[in-house]
Amino acid sequence: MNSLVISRTGTHLTVQDFGRFHYQHLGVSPSGAMDQRIIKELEKIIPLHHNQFIEFAYVGPSIKVKEGSVKVCVGGNCNMNIQKNNGTQIICQPYKSINLFAGDELNIHNTIDSVYGYIAVEHGLGLDPCLKSFSTDTKAGIGSINRPLKVDDTFEILEDVSSWDHLSIPNPAYKKETNFKVYPGPQLQFFTDQALQSFISSTFTISAQSDRMGIRLKGEAILSSQSHDILSEGILPGSIQVPSDGQPIVLMRDIPCTGGYPKIAILNGEDISKISQLPPGSQITFDLQTIY
Amino acid sequence: MYFKGINSYGDRGMLLDFGDDSSKSISLEVNKAFSTISNLGLPLLNIIPSFNKIVIIFENSEIRDQNKEKITLEISDIKSQFQKSANKTWKIPACYDESFALDLKLIQQLHQITKEEIINLHTSESYYTYYIGFMPGFPYLGDIHSQLITPRLATPRIKIPARSIGIAKNHTCIYPKISPGGWNIIGQIPFDIFDLQNPNPSLFLPGDKVSFYSVSNKEFQQVQKKHFSINELIKEYSS
Repeated sequence: MNSLVISRTGTHLTVQDFGRFHYQHLGVSPSGAMDQRIIKELEKIIPLHHNQFIEFAYVGPSIKVKEGSVKVCVGGNCNMNIQKNNGTQIICQPYKSINLFAGDELNIHNTIDSVYGYIAVEHGLGLDPCLKSFSTDTKAGIGSINRPLKVDDTFEILEDVSSWDHLSIPNPAYKKETNFKVYPGPQLQFFTDQALQSFISSTFTISAQSDRMGIRLKGEAILSSQSHDILSEGILPGSIQVPSDGQPIVLMRDIPCTGGYPKIAILNGEDISKISQLPPGSQITFDLQTIY
Repeated sequence: MYFKGINSYGDRGMLLDFGDDSSKSISLEVNKAFSTISNLGLPLLNIIPSFNKIVIIFENSEIRDQNKEKITLEISDIKSQFQKSANKTWKIPACYDESFALDLKLIQQLHQITKEEIINLHTSESYYTYYIGFMPGFPYLGDIHSQLITPRLATPRIKIPARSIGIAKNHTCIYPKISPGGWNIIGQIPFDIFDLQNPNPSLFLPGDKVSFYSVSNKEFQQVQKKHFSINELIKEYSS
């Protein structure tokens, strides 16, 4: 038996995977890792992750091996070290496999110039899926663990580490992007030419009120010439809705399943992961595509 | 036919447009299209019906574009297709006691009607399930009697008790679990309508018919104690 315990929490610590699909018509959001590029990369080092990744924002957790041994790998730009069971401390790097033995503790301090980081554990965290996914939606209370992780949460990993060999890949060191490709939204015609012009030519600042549900933007108000209240319709991650205050919200992974605000544009699918890594205060612009 | 056409929704989605209005006959067509497309076995990630739209999400634009023709074809002759309805008819016990009906007084004052009249009006209609949204398992039911039509609360409640029955505009609903919300609360049902342990977690599905019957607080408590599972509820309260 191998077991792992959360010995110090990070912020917004949840279990995530690539998303929970086929349930949105019952009001269940897709959820899933905010930056899916990273968990795809971790797959190369820990192929037996069983779709059970730990996500954190800004501050990572400390995880300690209680029993046996485990193999883990961290993804994202993080500062971290290992407190070995013999008292020594080792600095370690993301995207390199780490073998941890009973008493060893991995401390992930913070993400550098980014938001989200991930931990993959070989053989997963011993969880059962909930509606065919391991993702957590804390607002809806859905998930294998339907809340953020907390200190003393313990994971039992039945299988033993497959090999002690060290695996690593180069840190993908994603370029920070600030100009995002968007496609016309279904209510684009609600907005005047002038409002559209400010949407594509002005700079928006990411607000601190952003979370897994949506990234709130601050900037020149984008006003609709019609109502800011429409009959609710299906929405997807990347939908950019504009409530009556004219400040757009880019809906992210824990979306409400239907929404009643007009959507001016839809973010390019690939860019959802990229925008999730921009800390509050970051400035962004939109590049509206005409062909889609 | 209300169907207007298919538009792209970003690079991975499509939006089936059934116009700008909302009515039961539009919704019947939407839900028929929803169940037809759901049963095609297409490689889609999510299909979301609402009052007058269906949004479908695919893994990427290639898969979306490959499936557009097939969906267009199916929808264009949907009127002529015979479909055996898989929908259920529900008769749901509801307690309209003051302890549950947080906004009963407000509605009485607004419409100048008695508590009994409100209960009679709410229990006399068979409602149609337009779709499930807002939160897991939350049914948008309608239409309520014109005498009950009430705007949303000016200030939404921070915490609406789980299983509360609400009304707003011409719709009625049930809150599956504790939630913030702006519907006027007129009663409560004695069991959960969303169960994560069940592979079919939602009691109600788009297109279901739902009516309520009034029970006393004592009967309410008796049913509540039974902790019915979704499968038991289907046996007990649907046909």
